[in-house]
Order: sequence, then C-alpha cells, then structure tokens
Amino acid sequence: MSVVSTPANLRIPASLPLPDFSGLRRLMGHQRSLIGLAIVLPIVVIALAGPYLPIADPLETNPTVSLQGPSLDHPLGTDKIGRDVLSRIIAGARTSLFVGFSVATIAVGAGIVLGTLSGFLSKWVDTAVMSVVDVFLAFPGLLLAIAMVAVFGAGTWQVILAIAISDIPRAIRLQRSMVLGLKTRPFIDAARMAHAPSWWILVRHVVPSTIAPMLVVASIYAANAILVEASLSFLGLGITPPEPSWGNLIKDGQQYLQTGWWISTFPGIAILIISIGLHLVSDGIRERLDPMMRS
Amino acid sequence: MTGSLARKSLQLIPTVLGVMTLVFLMLRLLPGDAASYIAGENAPQAAIDAMRESLGLNKPLEEQYFSFITNTLQLDFGRSIVNGRPVIDMIKSALPTTLLIGFVSLIFSFLIAVPLGAIAAYLASKGKGAFDQGLTMVVMVIDMVPGFWLALVLLLLLSLQTQLLPATGPLEWGDPVSLAKRIALPVIVLSVGPLATIARITRTAVLEVLNEDYIRMARAMGTPDRSVLFQHALRNAALPVVTIAGLGFGRLLGGTVIIESIFALPGMGTILINGINGRDYPVVQGLVLMYASMFVFVNLATDLIYTKVDPRVKF
Repeated sequence: MSVVSTPANLRIPASLPLPDFSGLRRLMGHQRSLIGLAIVLPIVVIALAGPYLPIADPLETNPTVSLQGPSLDHPLGTDKIGRDVLSRIIAGARTSLFVGFSVATIAVGAGIVLGTLSGFLSKWVDTAVMSVVDVFLAFPGLLLAIAMVAVFGAGTWQVILAIAISDIPRAIRLQRSMVLGLKTRPFIDAARMAHAPSWWILVRHVVPSTIAPMLVVASIYAANAILVEASLSFLGLGITPPEPSWGNLIKDGQQYLQTGWWISTFPGIAILIISIGLHLVSDGIRERLDPMMRS
Repeated sequence: MTGSLARKSLQLIPTVLGVMTLVFLMLRLLPGDAASYIAGENAPQAAIDAMRESLGLNKPLEEQYFSFITNTLQLDFGRSIVNGRPVIDMIKSALPTTLLIGFVSLIFSFLIAVPLGAIAAYLASKGKGAFDQGLTMVVMVIDMVPGFWLALVLLLLLSLQTQLLPATGPLEWGDPVSLAKRIALPVIVLSVGPLATIARITRTAVLEVLNEDYIRMARAMGTPDRSVLFQHALRNAALPVVTIAGLGFGRLLGGTVIIESIFALPGMGTILINGINGRDYPVVQGLVLMYASMFVFVNLATDLIYTKVDPRVKF
C-alpha cells in the first residue's frame, strides 16, 4: 500500500500533511462496487428527495382506504389507518440511512483515532486501551446496543450512540493491528531518519495507508447499523412512532400479518436491498485492495 | 491442558471484572436521578426515597461497588422491582429455554452448513465451480436478511396461513414431538445467520486445505476422494470453523432476544425486554451480566477446543 501511495505524496507540497485519495479512483473501476453503488445511491437520493416527491404524505391518514393491498394508487398498499406504505418506507429510509451512515462515520472515526494511538504509542497506552476494548467485546453486539439504549433511552441520537459503542471496539482493534504492522516498515524508519515528527508520520504516512481497509469496514458497519436500528425499533427500544423507521414499520405490521402482509414485508425487503448494496460496495473495495497488497 | 485452562481463565479475570464494572456503571449513568427514573416521575417522594434505599444508592460509591461485586460473585442479583422475585430465580427458570433454542440452532446450522461448504469447496477444486459460486451468492444474501423480518414471514407462511407449526403456547418439555414443533420456527430463523457464516468459512478452509501438498500426496497414493475429504481435509479445516462458530455464538445470543419475543418463548430475552420496558433495573442488570458471562465462557471453551483439535497450538 505504501508503494502505491508514495508517488501521490511527492506531488503535494511537503508543508501540508494531506492524505491522498487515490483509493477513491480505484473504487470506481470495479464491477461489484459499481453494482453496489447502483443500489445504494438511488436509495439515498430518493430518501433525501422524499418530501419533494409526488407521492402521498407519509403521515396522512385516510381510514377509507385502510388495509388495502398493493394497487396503482398505493403501489405498496396502505396500513390500518390508511397511510401509504411506500411513502412511509421512503420516510423511514431517511431515518434508517441517517443512523447507518452516522454510526459508520463515528465508529470508523473513533476507531482510526484510538486505534492509531494505541498501536503507535507506548505499550502502556496500548494495554490500557485494549483492556477497555476487551471489556466491550465481551458483550454480544446486539445485546450491548440494547443495554446502551436502556441507559440512554429511546431516540435517534441515542440509538446512533448505542450502536456506535458496539462497533467502535472492533474498529479500534482493526486499526491498531494495521498500525502495528506498519510501524515496523522501512518507510517509517526512513521518515524518522529525515527528522519527521511522530504526528507527521502518523497523519501523512500511517493513517492514509489504513483508510482503504477502514472504508471496507465502514460500509459493513453502516449495513449492520441499519439492521440493528431496525431490530431496536422493532423491540420498541429504538426509534419510536410517530417518527418512521424501517424497524417500527415492520413492528406496525406485526399485528396485521394475515390481513395486511404488505405492511411488514416491504420494509424488510428495503433493509435487505440496502444491506446487499452496502456489502457489494465493501466487497468491491476489498477486491481492489487484494491485488494491491499482493504486489 | 489444565495448565493452559488455568492460565486462560486467569487472563479472563480483568475482563470479567471490567464487564461487572461496566454493568455497575450503566445503572448509575442514567440521566437524572436513577431512583426517580425507575419509580416514575409522578411517584410520591417517599416512594422515590424508598426506591433509592432499596437500590442502595444512598451509600458511598465504593461501598456500592464492593457490595455489587461480592453479590454478583455469589449470583445474588437482587430482586425484581416489578414482582419481587429474586432475579437469579427468574434467570434459572428462563435459562433452559434460551439454551435449548440456542444450541439446537447451532447444531442444526452445523449439520447443514458444513456439508454444503465442504461439497462446494470439493467441487470447486475439481473445476466444477458453479455450485460453489451459487452457494456463495445465496449465502451472502440470506445472511443479510433481518432475522425478525424472516421470523414474521415464516410465521405467516408456516403457521398462520397453513397451521403447520404453532406460533404460541407453552413449551412441553415432556413431549419431544410437540417441543420440536414449538421450537422449529425459532430454530430455523436463528440458524440462518450461523449457517451462512459456517458454510462460508468451511468452504474457504476446505478449499485451502485441498490445495495443500499432503492432499496431493494422498491422492497420488490412490486414496479414494471420500477418504481424502473426511480423514484429511475436514480435520485440518476444523480449526477456523470452530473459531468462527465460537464467534457466531455471540450473534446467536443477540438473535435469541428478538426471536424469543416474537415467538412468545419464556426465555431470557423475553425477561430482558420486559425488564427494560418496565424499568426493572435489577433484572436488566442480572440478565446483561448473564449474557456477557455466557459469551465469555463460550469463547473460553472455543479456545480450549482449539488446543484439542490442533495439538500444535499451545497457549
């Protein structure tokens, strides 16, 4: 990875410790990530454009069309009080996607910072950080999120924090192991011999080499967070009505399984589709990394 | 072996202590005053004070911590605020259910996933990669299906619409057939996750092993393929499979929480959810500790099986 990033480094003025983004160009070229992005990006766009789309108001109730199956007027059907399921799913997409991407950003951000410090600094710092990490990893992921939500209470930011807390330890571990591996490489010694200060070495050389694997993982964290948020909301612990999220949409349909199967089914399919998309993106980045690492 | 068991257990002590400390802090991290939060905002001051007294929140923090640790080590998790029963009794009555569906699911997924993965790898090594590619894709997709959603879909199709399997009702421990029918749906849903992971890992592990020299040697000596697979390949592939299975147990545990509530099973998950909704913090505390201990214990057991399966690995 260092062999590929060096040429770009030389082009940038030496005074600015900017990381290089050549990894992003590589992402574009691969088939799998293209398919993944083809799935994820439209969903994100539709979710963001939600309020401006010519579809029914997700909050508008209309008891006359209660529990109607998929039709031309309501492509995915209506629920008990006549709300259009498709618009509710699009509205829920905003919440669920926001949670997913926020968790991924926080987890990867904290993971990079703490993992790098843990791997690069003294043994004491490392032992201290890893002991705390081990304690958190002693809890099964979903359970830790449930426990954290029990402490923080329900709500979007509480859910984001709760899920992030269960992902951050894994991200720290990953980043730390990468940093430990890079620490012994000759280019680090070369930088030291050139009197580069530690923080420069970290920001300019170590961290950029770890960004690509962290992107792989970030995508998976996002998919996982969407799933966990749905589970929490389904249990009534996460995002509660009236704010729609895919999880509580599925919960809404639980009592109408026989009379209105579409209420629960379609949000679940939405979760599945976005998970597949995000995993494909992640796979694409990983495939790109492999030939690089072997060379 | 006892030496490494003792050593591994010793290494766990700081982690277990950390886990207990974290759970201890969780109750005290509640926004605002824990006692009034649990008693309810509208409760009279006397009730709030009584709650604070019974939770021991009046004592200095070190004293609270010390009594928490000593009580926990004696498996005294206090009493439920809602029904006054000792939490440990509630756990004891719920544990068999959770263990039952957990282990049956794990065994079920092993029985299906390992042959699938092994066959896929075997066929791929022979050049017939279609099955392998198909399996990889299918496995990837089903791994991403939300468990609780799948539970509802299967509930609808196999229980509500067709009456094939029961959706509710007590667990009849004495009647194996009825018990099997009752846990069939939860087990199917819970097995999906581990099945995907185990199939993938088995396939990768067997594929790697089949490329090894000693396999080529065995084939050159004329050993039939069946023996090659069973006596050599699977044995050597077992190590990563066992490790991943141990890790998958954690996911399984998390899954049981939701699945139990959907299928109305009287397991630990149901008690946990009721406890959270009822702000019954001694119950929540005890159950979280219980889940974490089970997870730690399974990881320890996995590490030990590691050494048994591959005598070259030593701690």
